[in-house]
Amino acid sequence: MFHSRRLVLAHFWVAFAAFLLALMLGEWQMYVRSPLFSGLSNPELYYRSVTAHGSAMAYVFPTLVAMGFGYAIVELSLKRPLVGLRWAWAGFGLLVAGTVIAMIPVSMGLASVLYTFYPPMIGNAFYYIGVVLVVVGSWIWVALMSVNLRLWKRDNPGVPVPLPMFANVAGAYLWAWTSVGAALEILLQILPVALGFRSTIDAGLARVLFSWTLHAIVYFWLFPSYIAFYTLVPRAIGGRLYSDLMGRVGFALFLVFSMPIGIHHIFQDPEVGEGFKFLHAIFTAMVSVPTLLTVFTITASVEIAARLRGGTGVVGWVRALPWGNPMMLAVAFSFIMLGFGGAGGIINMSYHLDFAIHNTQWITGHFHLIYGGAIVIMYFAIAYDLWPHLTGKALAQIVLMRVQLWLWFVGMIVVTFPWHYVGILAIPRRMAYFDYSDPAIAPQALSVIITFFGGLLLLASALLFIFILLRGHHAPRITLPEFRFSAPVHAVHHVPAALNGFALWLALMIGLTVVNYGYPIVKLLGTPGTAVPAIPVGVKR
Amino acid sequence: MATASEHSEHVAARAEMRWVYFVIAVIGLLLVMIAFTSLHWVMMPAQRIETVNPSTLHLAGEFTEDNLGTEANADGSATVRLIAQQYSFTPQCIVVPANTPVTFRGTSADVIHGFIIAGTNVNVMLEPGYVSNFRTEFKRPGEHVMPCHEFCSVGHAGMWAHVKVIDRDTFFRQSLSTRRQSCVPQ
Amino acid sequence: MKDEALFSRSNRWFVWSVAGVLALLLFGLAIGFVWMPYHNGEAGGSLWDAICRAAGAPGGNSYRDVNATKVISSDVIVIPDMIAADKEAIGRGATLSLRCTMCHGARGMSEAGTPNLAGQDAVAIYKQLRDFQSGQRKSAIMEPQAHGLSDQDMRDLAAYFAYLPRTSPPPVLVEQLKAPLVAQIGAPMRNIAPCISCHGGSDRKTGAPTLDGEPESYILTQLQAFADGHRRNDINGQMRNIARQMTKEEITTAAHYYAGR
Repeated sequence: MFHSRRLVLAHFWVAFAAFLLALMLGEWQMYVRSPLFSGLSNPELYYRSVTAHGSAMAYVFPTLVAMGFGYAIVELSLKRPLVGLRWAWAGFGLLVAGTVIAMIPVSMGLASVLYTFYPPMIGNAFYYIGVVLVVVGSWIWVALMSVNLRLWKRDNPGVPVPLPMFANVAGAYLWAWTSVGAALEILLQILPVALGFRSTIDAGLARVLFSWTLHAIVYFWLFPSYIAFYTLVPRAIGGRLYSDLMGRVGFALFLVFSMPIGIHHIFQDPEVGEGFKFLHAIFTAMVSVPTLLTVFTITASVEIAARLRGGTGVVGWVRALPWGNPMMLAVAFSFIMLGFGGAGGIINMSYHLDFAIHNTQWITGHFHLIYGGAIVIMYFAIAYDLWPHLTGKALAQIVLMRVQLWLWFVGMIVVTFPWHYVGILAIPRRMAYFDYSDPAIAPQALSVIITFFGGLLLLASALLFIFILLRGHHAPRITLPEFRFSAPVHAVHHVPAALNGFALWLALMIGLTVVNYGYPIVKLLGTPGTAVPAIPVGVKR
Repeated sequence: MATASEHSEHVAARAEMRWVYFVIAVIGLLLVMIAFTSLHWVMMPAQRIETVNPSTLHLAGEFTEDNLGTEANADGSATVRLIAQQYSFTPQCIVVPANTPVTFRGTSADVIHGFIIAGTNVNVMLEPGYVSNFRTEFKRPGEHVMPCHEFCSVGHAGMWAHVKVIDRDTFFRQSLSTRRQSCVPQ
Repeated sequence: MKDEALFSRSNRWFVWSVAGVLALLLFGLAIGFVWMPYHNGEAGGSLWDAICRAAGAPGGNSYRDVNATKVISSDVIVIPDMIAADKEAIGRGATLSLRCTMCHGARGMSEAGTPNLAGQDAVAIYKQLRDFQSGQRKSAIMEPQAHGLSDQDMRDLAAYFAYLPRTSPPPVLVEQLKAPLVAQIGAPMRNIAPCISCHGGSDRKTGAPTLDGEPESYILTQLQAFADGHRRNDINGQMRNIARQMTKEEITTAAHYYAGR
């Protein structure tokens, strides 16, 4: 009996609704700044849209997916009802309220600061208040994940924590620590100014604090997808997980290395010392390790499924995989996009190569490919996998699911590859329009048109996705077998203490944060003369 | 049967460890490359941070209007000083000599801006309150666009400057009569 | 299941992970904070100096120029919300404004081709008065007018005129979308930002005047003066950068559009 079904469904539906709306805004943006749009593109409207699109896609959609999936994992892996259901609903309510509160000033053009809201630009206070409420709602989820695991461990002393729950809680702790940076920035720097208590703000310190959150947040987004890789995919395709232990190592490494690396987002900034930039580059290289480990483990797990189906040969086994299964398509597409996106990420992290593409459209292309592509396609897969258990009804549109996933994959490639290309041409990001008649810009016109058509495929895919989920609510009821996560090839008898808890990794994470971020932050706090006048935006008079 | 299972576990673990060593080697190579390039191709030299008051740039100090532009230094290098503001760079047309070490020094008068010089590796963030430094060398004469690449509010899309790379000797000859050079039409 | 101590030297995971992280840290610190700054800095610096440079410690202000520089644009410091607009200030400003009505009209609405001041941006009025007084903005007419004003007088006048109702309200979104190209988009490659990004309606840059309802001849003259460089009290050249790139048609279109609002 899945007690928290309605809770999980609520999270997913709000997430996907926000996703669809934000996607439509995104496609509109692609249209108006492309050569296809011959009218006047009012920049103020454009930036309202970018703020809404970014905030919804970065703060609302993935948070709700992680929370919903997290609640489901608690029940399904620990095999007991979620403790604190009312708190969970309160958190959900805060999140929804925060979203609405934030979107009102944004839609009125009073807070077009973009989801990165770099001071000293300051928008309407309610935008920031809304974001704070969203984050606080997610912190309730973090607490519930921790509490539920603690209660289970108390009742099951010495038993290995199931891998899905281990990863789930690791993701929750990662998010809690990660969100501190932006929370400090908003609560201590921005809101006092937005509410009129102060009129100056340290722009450099704000960027450092935001960088604390900015990179690790993508690993928070990534956790549900990676949990799906390890715990859903092998079972769904009829195979086994190659190694439970390696999975834990991977998630532990993410917990340690995701956060103290954010300064690679501000390589070109003047307020951080070059030594710290180098240090962050070193540790950013480390965060590619768990991804590389995951690639091996999941590929090996997929190979197991193929060989169980009679696949032979060194690479010939690929043909024996269940390609008719949407989950198989999802993981394959995700890995392809992860490969390209990851390579792009390695370029971004390599200090000198980053100078060629910082703040160009390459960056936009990169994170749409890796997040919108590799990660979000697994969100679709998670929804498809859980939906029958959430609704109690069959989700039978297998062909439509495959079409939807194909559309998303092809669309994302068509959107992001030209985007990377124009970034290499040094075309800057966050511009509302371009003069395509100028010879310096003309080479990118065709690429921008192509990305627009790719976006149409994405829009079709998203609409199809919603349609499939809606149909899932109106299908006939079925009795389902008990939900199973993937089983490892070799049964887990004993897990080292280090990989059955988080104390060691949290200690390392916090220790590294102190070393990597301590001085850069404290230094700016202690340097006089760094606070500059706040510049209000969206002043309509 | 236990031994067969243990044996396969060992095989699996060994394959895994081989991959781990491979990953460590790849990452190690990346780190060595980063270290090597940091020692040899310096764009932003390690230096103490410089602060400046964005509201008084036009009154006194390094970034007053008549001090902006490109200066020929006694040691044969050049220094470009610029300000970013909503929504233009001053000077909006920058002159630099080719085959000369050039240092860009800049700051912002209001919000965070940044610029990239297309076709080069010049990529700089300009933040109010701080002075940015960037060192480079332009290989050949030509013209480049230089857009602002950090969102600076509604007019961001209109913030494009230009860079003219001119022959080194011409630049130094002109510097004898012009204290700060730029290609802004007067 | 026996309980393993986690934070103990006998726990392999603890030892190896801490050792690994420490090794990486030392590698990064050694290269980033010692080798790199030494290698790339001036010869003869101390180790501590190299570390401070790599850490980005404060105190790097190195610019020393003996030549005194002159103020080209304006000697006013412009900061958002710098004009206090309380009732007393507005009242004082109202009294002071009686001398302005000859040219600028009763209640700031001119019929003489001089700029309307009703509802004008407070910071803009204050700054222009300061610039007339100092001569940074040349005007044979305004200089004597501004001559006797104290700083507080100028703030009060600014507060008063800003408080008066505008000649026309800021354009709503639908109206904004009908503005001409130069006002809404500008011309990006010539570094002409759209007028609406600074001059109100969409967004307001501090100190940028409201142009709606100003006399067409006045806007034309001022844009021309910025373009020629004759008027240069715009801080850091922000208006000269734009005006000098505008074509004659763009200047007349912008002036005509705003005058007609």
